[in-house]
Amino acid sequence: MKIIIRCILDKIFTAITWLTVFVIVILLLLILGPILSRGTNAVVFRDTIEFRKMQMALLNRGNETNLTAEISEIAPVRQKVYDTINKFKSGIDTDALTEQVRKIYRDCGQELSYKKLTPQQYTETRSLLKDIRDRLQTAFASTDKVQIAKCTSFVMGYADDERFKGTSAGDFFRIAADFQKAVEKIDFAKHLQYVQAVGEMEDLLTQLLGPRPGEALPATAMNQFGATRWDLAEKLMDNLLWKEQWVSQKSGKSLVKIRTERAKEFAGTEIEPLFGYIKDNLEKMLKPQWRFYWQYFIDDSTPGHYFGGIGPEILGTLLLTLLSMVFVIPLGIISAAYLTECTTDNFVVKIIRMCINSLAGVPSIIFGLFGLAFFVLFLLPFLGFSSKPCILTASLTLSILTLPVMIRSSEEAIKAVPLTYKEASLALGASNFKTFMSVTLPAAMPGILTGVILSISRVAGETAPILFTGAVALGPVPSSIFHSTRTLSYGSYDMAVGDRLAAMVPHNQYGMVATLVILVLCLNTSAIILRSRLFKKLHGH
Amino acid sequence: MKKLIVCGLIMLSLVSVTKLIAADKALQIEGSTTVGPIADAFTEAFNKTYPDIKITVTKNGSGNGAAALIDKRCDIAMMSRFMKLEEFTAAVDKGVMPVAHTIALDGVCMIVHPSNPVTDLSTQQIHDIYIGKIKNWKELGGPDMPIVVVSRDTSSGTYETFDHFIMKKVKMDAGVEYVSSNPQVHARVKTTPGAIGYVGIGFLDAEVKGLKVNGIMPSKETITNGTYSLSRPLFLFTNGFPELGSLSYNFCTFYLSEKGQEIINAKGFVPVTHY
Repeated sequence: MKIIIRCILDKIFTAITWLTVFVIVILLLLILGPILSRGTNAVVFRDTIEFRKMQMALLNRGNETNLTAEISEIAPVRQKVYDTINKFKSGIDTDALTEQVRKIYRDCGQELSYKKLTPQQYTETRSLLKDIRDRLQTAFASTDKVQIAKCTSFVMGYADDERFKGTSAGDFFRIAADFQKAVEKIDFAKHLQYVQAVGEMEDLLTQLLGPRPGEALPATAMNQFGATRWDLAEKLMDNLLWKEQWVSQKSGKSLVKIRTERAKEFAGTEIEPLFGYIKDNLEKMLKPQWRFYWQYFIDDSTPGHYFGGIGPEILGTLLLTLLSMVFVIPLGIISAAYLTECTTDNFVVKIIRMCINSLAGVPSIIFGLFGLAFFVLFLLPFLGFSSKPCILTASLTLSILTLPVMIRSSEEAIKAVPLTYKEASLALGASNFKTFMSVTLPAAMPGILTGVILSISRVAGETAPILFTGAVALGPVPSSIFHSTRTLSYGSYDMAVGDRLAAMVPHNQYGMVATLVILVLCLNTSAIILRSRLFKKLHGH
Repeated sequence: MKKLIVCGLIMLSLVSVTKLIAADKALQIEGSTTVGPIADAFTEAFNKTYPDIKITVTKNGSGNGAAALIDKRCDIAMMSRFMKLEEFTAAVDKGVMPVAHTIALDGVCMIVHPSNPVTDLSTQQIHDIYIGKIKNWKELGGPDMPIVVVSRDTSSGTYETFDHFIMKKVKMDAGVEYVSSNPQVHARVKTTPGAIGYVGIGFLDAEVKGLKVNGIMPSKETITNGTYSLSRPLFLFTNGFPELGSLSYNFCTFYLSEKGQEIINAKGFVPVTHY
């Protein structure tokens, strides 16, 4: 009976361990799966011609002749969209027209002053110009067809006037004629509605295709190009075809979301068929291609990580991690050696141990503030350097953070070295120091490397300690350890709390996080390989 | 002994290297997370015109910006609020004369889920919601749905603006959810039908619904002419007025240019200038 119970308990225990393993694997998949799969999307994706344009403009990368050929290939397809909208807008977008006639008036006035005219002639022509301009403006502001016709015909009356030959005034008459033609077809009741709808449509088109050719380029890179990725383009296309609205069904109840076709807003106009045209020709306008964007890992990014890669962040993380390892490994080993080899287990050592253990539990932000107060504000000025956060201070702070882990693991490793090794060495006449360096330390190395692995994972991912001591959201690639740097961990934080940009480029956020995970994995793997090699060497296999 | 000399030499060379770096053209900018994106974009525009200068931007909050300026750790401090009296005195004590450059205006907008039929709240109603007096949208003419109140953390400049105009130093209800950034408020409100929160005007988009406050919709016009009450200027602070023609001067006055205004517009803020 007892044996049966024992067997059952055994089985239950095995089952529980298997279950735990299973749960851990599931958890890992749940956490890492989305990060890695979406992160991959930052590197492997379908790009569009806008992406290639961006790469050429910002990084001078790609084949220029091919790109120019492609651009001229898609230009007519896009131009048709622009032409249709322009034609529709000619009678509708009166604000733009008003702006245009003002400009013509200014230009024309300047041209007049270069003509050989008597002062009287000049004044007369000038006031006539002003009259024409004002009448046109009245026409644009009006919704009364009779009044508009009156104004435009007044303007047209001067079309063949000798005085305006060879000046920009010709544009006045062209605009007046176009407007008169457009007005005949306009339903003024729908005028305002059209203005708004066309504005929305143009905004979406700019996001999809970028600024129109010939238009002045916006100041920031993110507005200079259309949708650089095909998935984004498809999303924008959906927005362009369907308009989301929240409408009230019953007062006092929640609003309900409905999707209406945007084309219906333009029913009966030349814009209506344009939606179908854009949908059918989207591939022709954007030319999607599969791309393996490996340069993501070396490229610099535009501010806010809208375009580009994470090169400086990777470099910064590596620099910080390696530099803090340079500080922490010797310091940790020496401290551990002191604690195990040089003292007995007396009161002072017990206190030191307790301090180290509690240091391991201190929240990382405290280390960050300590680093700011001690390294940046005190140590740097004390040594004659300028008191600015930099890679050096950040890595010093990080090394203090991982020091407890390093000391503890080195201590355990040194303690685990069999006493017989040491005795043999001492019996051969080696000094204590020599024994430690050539017998104890090599034998303890695999254990110490375990500490290094733990420290690396901790250091690479920490944000709080470097927040004040050397990490920046935006800055040049560091050229010495006295410059501040960008890092992957702080970069992900910055993207999460920054502005709206991050929400627009989720692939970059995932890409950064995935890279951090992979980077830590790589650093750890190399340390593990080193450890197993050392282990083999020690055991003579 | 030899090692000591080597160490000394290394130290000396490091010192000389830092001296060289100090002479390098660099600009250190630190402070508010709200102003950060503007500084980012200004930097982008600057790098095009002056490719050899090095600008670093750190976004760690208005308070840290002020502290860094006082400690002379940065050249320009970004702040979404004006300097407090204590900060000012501390600065003057250390020989730092803070000069404010108002580069843009920002409005604090009340946002709700787009399915919410409520369109207009008075400052008193908002106050009552945040102190927990009004707990259901029914009381405001909406559906029978408990209100999920979202606020920024108390250290943010946005919170201070909200506190100044709405709460008037009255403590918020214990049920209020505090989140630490604008994107988080936006994300919470966008996914929760009963939620209300407040964000900078740049975060107003189709996914959330902006509310009128006292009958006035926040927009570029209403913020500029002051009719929308919940608005604030955004500052850059420097130590004294920057030397004319210097890098700091160009950076702090960039908002006056057409391009600067375009950038501020594109980032969703309200420019001070009108081109």
